[in-house]
Amino acid sequence: MFLSRIVLRDLDSIDSPASMASSKKVVTRDEWERKLRDVKIRKEDMNRLVMNFLVTEGFVDAADKFRIESGTQPEIDLATITDRMEVKRAVQSGNVQEAIEKINDLNPTILDTNPQLYFHLQQQKLIELIRAGKINEALEFAQEELAPRGEENQTFLEEIEKTVALLVFEDVKNCPYGELLDVSQRLKTASEVNAAILTSQSHEKDPKLPSLLKMLKWTQNQLDEKAAYPRINDFTTAALEDPSI
Amino acid sequence: MPATASVGGARPEPEEASPAPAPASTSASSCMGTRPEELTARLAAAGPGPAEGCGGAGAGGEEVEHERVRALREIKNQIIGNRTKKLLYLRLGAVPSVVAALAEPGASPAALVQAAAAAGSFACGVEDGARAVLAAGAVEHLTRLLAHPDEKVVDASARALRMIYQSRLAPKFDVNSGENMDFVLSLLDSENENVTELAAAIISHSCESSAEQLSLCSAGVPQKLVSLFGGSMNLRDACLGSVTAVIRNNRDVASRFASTDHGKGFRSVVGLIHDRSPHTRLLACLCLIALGHASPCHFQDKQIKTKLIMVLLELIEEPGHVGDEAPLALTTLIKDSFELQKQALTTNAVEKLSNHLLANPLETRRAVTIMLALSELCSKLEESRSQLMSVEVSALLLEALKHDWADIRIAACSCLKNISRSPKVLSGGRLSCDTVIGPLVQLLNDSSTSVQVAALGAICNIAVNLTPRKSVLLHSGVVSQLVHLSKSMDPMLRLKSVWALRNIMFLLSPKDKDFIVKELTLSTLSSLICDSEHFVQEQTLALVHNLVDGYVDSANYVIGEDGMVMDAIARQLINASAPGVCIQGMYVLANIAAGNELNKEAVMNVLLPHRADRIKPLFVVNFLQSKDKQLRVATLWCLLNLIYPKCEASSGRVVRLQNAGVIQQVKSMINDPCLDCKLRVRMVLEHCVDNADDCFM
Repeated sequence: MFLSRIVLRDLDSIDSPASMASSKKVVTRDEWERKLRDVKIRKEDMNRLVMNFLVTEGFVDAADKFRIESGTQPEIDLATITDRMEVKRAVQSGNVQEAIEKINDLNPTILDTNPQLYFHLQQQKLIELIRAGKINEALEFAQEELAPRGEENQTFLEEIEKTVALLVFEDVKNCPYGELLDVSQRLKTASEVNAAILTSQSHEKDPKLPSLLKMLKWTQNQLDEKAAYPRINDFTTAALEDPSI
Repeated sequence: MPATASVGGARPEPEEASPAPAPASTSASSCMGTRPEELTARLAAAGPGPAEGCGGAGAGGEEVEHERVRALREIKNQIIGNRTKKLLYLRLGAVPSVVAALAEPGASPAALVQAAAAAGSFACGVEDGARAVLAAGAVEHLTRLLAHPDEKVVDASARALRMIYQSRLAPKFDVNSGENMDFVLSLLDSENENVTELAAAIISHSCESSAEQLSLCSAGVPQKLVSLFGGSMNLRDACLGSVTAVIRNNRDVASRFASTDHGKGFRSVVGLIHDRSPHTRLLACLCLIALGHASPCHFQDKQIKTKLIMVLLELIEEPGHVGDEAPLALTTLIKDSFELQKQALTTNAVEKLSNHLLANPLETRRAVTIMLALSELCSKLEESRSQLMSVEVSALLLEALKHDWADIRIAACSCLKNISRSPKVLSGGRLSCDTVIGPLVQLLNDSSTSVQVAALGAICNIAVNLTPRKSVLLHSGVVSQLVHLSKSMDPMLRLKSVWALRNIMFLLSPKDKDFIVKELTLSTLSSLICDSEHFVQEQTLALVHNLVDGYVDSANYVIGEDGMVMDAIARQLINASAPGVCIQGMYVLANIAAGNELNKEAVMNVLLPHRADRIKPLFVVNFLQSKDKQLRVATLWCLLNLIYPKCEASSGRVVRLQNAGVIQQVKSMINDPCLDCKLRVRMVLEHCVDNADDCFM
């Protein structure tokens, strides 16, 4: 949050002279860098942002190393990250039942209080059965486990229909709902699982850094209308690029 | 803040605590069936546990215990999240065996953890499950296990109890008993957040009566809950919910909470309306709204109220539960408050809500709650109504009237009802066209009574239409529908349908009045006057009141046909039913008394029945002595009309009223505290003098 506030303050100071002239105000690189240097950001805050990212995304080893090197304390017990990552990995590799059992061991209230997540896991299970070509098992599972969920919820029913439709096609990869068999579907389910576990651990489900980047991009876009200034175009290097005049 | 894992450091899988080497279910299912019937049987067979052999559990005992842990875990994994499986296991009678595992004196921590989780899950989302778990005595066992030395058993028991206390079937925890209160306080003091969250759940579940709220307050529970706001997000949310439950509708507790420690708790809650977590923001808003309703004098800060409106409007953008419930919170906040509705309007609430409504699909809970909020915003402010009508929302509302979901139809009717409170909208005739009336009339046939009631509400208001367009409504088939509903078994339907007829009748031409009376019939009218519910009687009399206004001939409906309707009215007045009924009855008589000699005589006969026995005092005298000023005014109007204009017949009536002691009563009211009454008293007396002139006085 604080980064955007700083940039917005700069925006204010640029705003008033610009309104006098019809053309955009030009800020030179020197001037811009000097302004940036004037902004003091505490190292600890930066470190906390990094730690927040590592913890939320589940990079447990990196988080541990970062803790030792920077002295930043993680917001939650790192051991819980390992559990969470095991669940996530299980979903990513298609072992849905294993993932369900691990979630229940972590906290049995998660799936009972989150019907949508439970449904998506069951749906993923069906997808994995279809992928493995276990057609009879898939049909039985769809009838016994998924059909009752569809009776309880219209949206679920539509999703079940799409999933079961995979059974009709010879070339499932190229059928209209082929994307369900894609790795991205597993990732989607895995990230839903990740978010639910984080929430159950009183942790925010999204890391803060990506939203800061979004805010940076938004602020630069706003600023573009009023001034020409050294812009960050490549977010991977964060290099300032001279304004094109 | 690692609360649960701080003791043991890392969190091993529960099975590692058991002697079982097999961690994955695949191996379990290979050596043991996973069919519910088999598992249930196996679990029942595994009891009464390894401790039977007393002390040294041999290799056999270990195996039995191992088997039991696996069966419990398998059942747990099958039922969590799965309603169908829960019902299946319930039918198989698995719950007692699961709960019995909690009672085992020698049960391993692993077995206890699995059994607790399974018991908690059975109680979640399925009423029969909760009932079975309670009947098996799970609460007692789980409560005992909160003191277990193994932290994981404590975690599992606390979670299971929390699930159980979320069910409405769970017994209330009697916080009026000192011992129980100490127990709750000890839970709140726990280091384990699962346990403190449980305490919050127990408090929320157990403070329905004001006595319970008061004892919790006296024990300092609200302050304790506030002090826990610093814990994890989930704990803070649970505590916020409990604070709300403790202060809800309790003036005493709310004002104590707001003033204790110079309002520290209050300020903490206010701080949370800007919390990072949307759920926390919503809960903080709900808490402040509850506080404001319970003790308005402790929550007068306009700025905070404005902030609440802004925060709630922002929360509507949030996905899921928070966004769904935020409009309802807004509705509660602004309900009946002209000032806050105005405030909401200046923050563009109508525009924001309608934009959201238009941008998203209709068949969601959010659409329902947004429509209800919009409806509330239109309940008092003309500007909100015209704003809502000016956007494409009106088209959407029409669509909503025909929607499959009853809740959506009800919400749309509610919007239309409040929009049509506007004389401007009504006289513009935008609601009294076929496109609106048609679907509304159709909803009178709805299978849901709530929809019918909501549609009647809208029709009631639209019917108060002064323009000639009233005929659109009149000939839409609505009258026969309303007549049909006025004979319903449901008193609410009778009330609202009669109300709608009353409003349609308002200022109607004699021809149209006749149309309605023919549909309704005088005998139905008479029986509705004598309905079992006084609010229906009152509305019916108001309907008659509108029927007999002005046109002299219309009085014939009441006094004609052997005076069937008049008899019904007289009966109600003599029985002196509810004040509202008497007021409307007197207005009917007043209107009839404004007619010709025949009409006036008919009224006289009701007021002064030809009876030998005068043991009972006249109802008209009672009414004049009533504390209700409206009833006094209505009665005075009736008398005034009877003795007006100055003529011989009027003089005769004055004499009869004088002889019956009515005029005497009027004279005693010369200094009536109600100005309107005082004025009418003087008018009645002046007319008496005029009429009497040289006869007497």
